[in-house]
Amino acid sequence: MTRTLRVEMRAIHKVYADGTIALRGVDFRIGQQEIVGLLGENGAGKSTLMKILSGFVRPTRGEILVDGVPRRFGSPADALRVGIGMVHQTFTLVPVYSALENILLGQEATGPLRPPQWRGMRRRIEQLMEETGLTVPLDAPVETLPVGVQQRVEILKVLSRGTSILILDEPTSALTPREVTDLFAFLRGLKARGSAIVFITHKLREVLEIADRVVVLRAGQVTGERSSADATPEMLAEMMVGRAVVPRISRLFRTPGRPVLEVRSLGVLSDRGTLAVRDLSFEVREGEVFGIAGVEGNGQSELVQALTGLRPAASGEVLLHGAPVLFLSPLELYRRGMSHIPEDRTRFGLALEFDVAENSLLGRQAEPAFVGPLGRLRWDRVLRYAAELVDRFQIHTPGLRVPVRSLSGGNQQRLVVGRELSKRPTLVVAVHPTRGLDVASTAYIRELLVRMRDEGGAVLLVSADLDEVLELSDRIAVMYEGRFVGVGTTERWSREAIGMMMGGIVPHGVQDAAVRPVHR
Amino acid sequence: MPRFARSIVDSATALLVGLVCGGVLMRAFGYQPMAAYRALVVGAFGSVPDLLETLAFATPLALTALTFSVGVRAGLFNIGAEGQVYVGALGAAFVGGSVLLPPGAHLVAVTCAAMACGAAWALLPALLRIWRGVHEVISTIMANWIAFFLTTYVAVTFLGEPGRAERTRPVWPTARFPVLTEDASLTAVAFVALGLCLLVYTYLWGTRAGYELRLVGSNPDAARYAGVRTRRVVVASFLLGGMSAGLAGGSQVFGRPPAWSLYATLGNVATLGFDGIGVALVGRNHPLGGLLSAILFGALQHGGRYMEYQAGVVSELVRAITGLVVVALAVPELWRLIWRRR
Repeated sequence: MTRTLRVEMRAIHKVYADGTIALRGVDFRIGQQEIVGLLGENGAGKSTLMKILSGFVRPTRGEILVDGVPRRFGSPADALRVGIGMVHQTFTLVPVYSALENILLGQEATGPLRPPQWRGMRRRIEQLMEETGLTVPLDAPVETLPVGVQQRVEILKVLSRGTSILILDEPTSALTPREVTDLFAFLRGLKARGSAIVFITHKLREVLEIADRVVVLRAGQVTGERSSADATPEMLAEMMVGRAVVPRISRLFRTPGRPVLEVRSLGVLSDRGTLAVRDLSFEVREGEVFGIAGVEGNGQSELVQALTGLRPAASGEVLLHGAPVLFLSPLELYRRGMSHIPEDRTRFGLALEFDVAENSLLGRQAEPAFVGPLGRLRWDRVLRYAAELVDRFQIHTPGLRVPVRSLSGGNQQRLVVGRELSKRPTLVVAVHPTRGLDVASTAYIRELLVRMRDEGGAVLLVSADLDEVLELSDRIAVMYEGRFVGVGTTERWSREAIGMMMGGIVPHGVQDAAVRPVHR
Repeated sequence: MPRFARSIVDSATALLVGLVCGGVLMRAFGYQPMAAYRALVVGAFGSVPDLLETLAFATPLALTALTFSVGVRAGLFNIGAEGQVYVGALGAAFVGGSVLLPPGAHLVAVTCAAMACGAAWALLPALLRIWRGVHEVISTIMANWIAFFLTTYVAVTFLGEPGRAERTRPVWPTARFPVLTEDASLTAVAFVALGLCLLVYTYLWGTRAGYELRLVGSNPDAARYAGVRTRRVVVASFLLGGMSAGLAGGSQVFGRPPAWSLYATLGNVATLGFDGIGVALVGRNHPLGGLLSAILFGALQHGGRYMEYQAGVVSELVRAITGLVVVALAVPELWRLIWRRR
């Protein structure tokens, strides 16, 4: 390498307190005036690696050298002091503060008795905006600014602290194509003026466009490194998702039956008001697992929330057993045969302060079997049913009256999955059903989902874990920026092709499947 | 029940800390802490009339604590009990003093009037919340002041006792709950209060609607996921709380001698609503915990007077000491609430 080395990370290991191994000996270098693309799936360790470099997370083992000097960062402030700053995927702005106040937050040249020296600081920021070409309206409250401008505020916030090594975590995920172009132009300018940049992403095309060099992480290890001039999307996709052949769970041979869920031209808005799901059409049939793969944040959450009655749809139609169901409440959807294993069990699936019995009743509290005269709950029946769940789904708990907070993640998830399957659904919407679980629980829950399919149920599986989707699904769709890049039977595609689609590139020969809606 | 036992231990520890702090304070001012506390305890619980007087103080507090607790259980910070108390007392003063009904029926009528008025006053913040997203802290504080002036105005202008401007016409004897003994101001309204607490307890933990209410308070997202209609829950929680606060206000009119009326200054109902917040916090926002904690607060109020008479502690210091005890007792629950809100 001809460039001077700015940062060298050697043999970085990270084991989180809960035992999750995020990084297994990663070497990573950043050169002077270089844009490094850091590529990988969810959970590959990209963000962890960069949080270590920027002082947010401490490594379990490994060394960091900045400009040749070994460093240990106790906090982000330590990293900033040597010129390393990170812009996070979720912004850390105070909505009601002005852009200037946000930029200067924490660096007001002030003492307890000295008012902030706004004028001097303002001049400094204005100068910085001129130099970098990143202009923002300094006096506007941040909440009134579009996302792209908010991101500029974030970047200015980091740069104003004298950063010469800038880390951006998935910076384009919320931007419009126009804003992406502007961002790239700015990054090139910043590089020309001497900064080094790390660009974390899962988007193949973008990384090839902006980065000088691409480092690919998978499961906490570097699986490849190429200068972008020598890299092709195929190559990167393979490094990203690996080659291993996933053994599929044994399943009955059956031809899918009638459609259970039909989605037609569905559009759903995100919280930011942008279209997160764009004109999506698909169906899930009896006796099949339909898997949606893709990197998180490409509209999966919004899709699922619209299907399960938690978010209104902007356009389109959804049929369950042939009847339109958009805008029905979750309770009504359940009555019509849908059950939902939510993506975040502690947010939607459980009330952590409630005990096991109370949580097993979640969503079933209106069932006549559990409600007596005057709306009284029949606790005897609830407890009997909860005991059945605990027994049947092998939930390890000290008792039925214990808050679920005290259960392990695996047992919490077994409770959610058990409860949802005990509703005797004809359609299960399962989102990241095994995230963060141990091997035994993972295998058990996957087995349950396939058994449900074998018995003629329909399963809509949404998962960021490609292995999981490949292992369980009869048909797969890959979601990217609110659309399906491809839909087809699982046997049809190579892993590499799916990896490319996850990165937003449609391999040859897939286009037809992507365009044509799947019909009976 | 280990969770229940732990709450008791926590509260006992907090009580001890509060008492020790109060003792240090008294020492600093040259009083005898042990003698003063003795006067407090004997004064509050030493004889049957004293015990009943303590309970008389506790009765409205248990009810206003219930108001706050039912709010917190639904995830709401309803601090509107104060205003609901005023309006409830006003309703009681009107139906009790200006309407003639046969015995029995009149008691039922005043009780219902107090609860209905309290509930009606709670409806406004509830509707503002579900229709316009107005935060209940803001709306209830404003409603409290509106209630204060409205109640004062109506009481003085329309319900005043001729010749005695300082209070409303006393309620008719048919609208008075029977006094239990001649030596204390406790009346049978205490049983109604107790009944309401038990009823709300059964509602919260024994019915589907109560389950949904607690679910909304515990995890609103999970409640949506479970198909709970959050707006309904908000309204239900406010109405229940308003009923309870209204009864608390009414109880001071139709269930507390010697006044049997509402003072024009609202002096016999003022601060009941705010005190209820402290009572609820000490009672861990549980209807039954609120009962116990209300008795404790009643004891501090009633027994505190003896600290003054018998141990000679100046009344300002007595108030400071009871304040210390209350703060110490409320800290564990307050801490938990703050943590949860993060």
